[in-house]
Amino acid sequence: MTWHRFKNRLIARVITRFPSLASRFVESYAPWESEDVPWTPLTKPLSACTVAMVTTAGVHHRDQPPFNMTDREGDPSYRAIDFTRPMDSLMITHDYYDHKDADRDLNIVFPVERLREFEREGVIGRLAERHYSFMGHITGPHIVTLVNRTAPEVAGLLKQGGVDAAVLTPG
Amino acid sequence: MGLIQRELERSGIPTVGISIVRDYSVKVKPPRSVFLRWPFGHPLGEPFNVSQQRVVLAEAFRALCGIRQAGEIIDLPYRWRRERYDEADIHAILAPCRREKGPEA
Repeated sequence: MTWHRFKNRLIARVITRFPSLASRFVESYAPWESEDVPWTPLTKPLSACTVAMVTTAGVHHRDQPPFNMTDREGDPSYRAIDFTRPMDSLMITHDYYDHKDADRDLNIVFPVERLREFEREGVIGRLAERHYSFMGHITGPHIVTLVNRTAPEVAGLLKQGGVDAAVLTPG
Repeated sequence: MGLIQRELERSGIPTVGISIVRDYSVKVKPPRSVFLRWPFGHPLGEPFNVSQQRVVLAEAFRALCGIRQAGEIIDLPYRWRRERYDEADIHAILAPCRREKGPEA
């Protein structure tokens, strides 16, 4: 492992243990202050909605390429996650938070099993077939790629999948 | 996370985000958020604490159904440890989502 990756993992471990340090750390990469707030009303009852999950926790299937951890400005790409595959087909590549606990139980960052329960119980109408995952540490020019290209691409894919609402989770 | 959330919402998909960094949500302004002062890497709580995870997800859905003010952040009352979670809570949390229709725009 390179020094760069080692250092990032060390910081991640420290700020997970001492959350009071995190706010100062995070301030430096809160990318900008937005002016407007986009808004789409929810027009269906939740029990009739197809719901998808989008995470920035760096989740991906083991047979997909991992997120790029050597680019200091992050990786704005995404991975499609297939919920019909078993949970143990999933793993996390993300050096900027400590995912030891999430490696033991992915539901704490990507609540696949909880959503399946809510689907069975009729809380939500249906779970989407495809969900999407990013790696949340993105700065510099990659922010533009994320906002102008990869995030709108995922929006298009969600719409193609008939998704009525999305839940977002961080790492 | 907030930036992606904003783009999905802008494309016509209603969204809710689970935030663990309040300052970030205040700056980036995603349309709907629930906030928990919990450690990084634990937005839904602790490993294998199924009730805790269900409560957080239910709170996210309540926010999705109930928030009418774009950019609102709901500060959830749960402490990181020493909380009890049970199924009755989840039923109550989800009550606003069981109405016939979603909120009017």
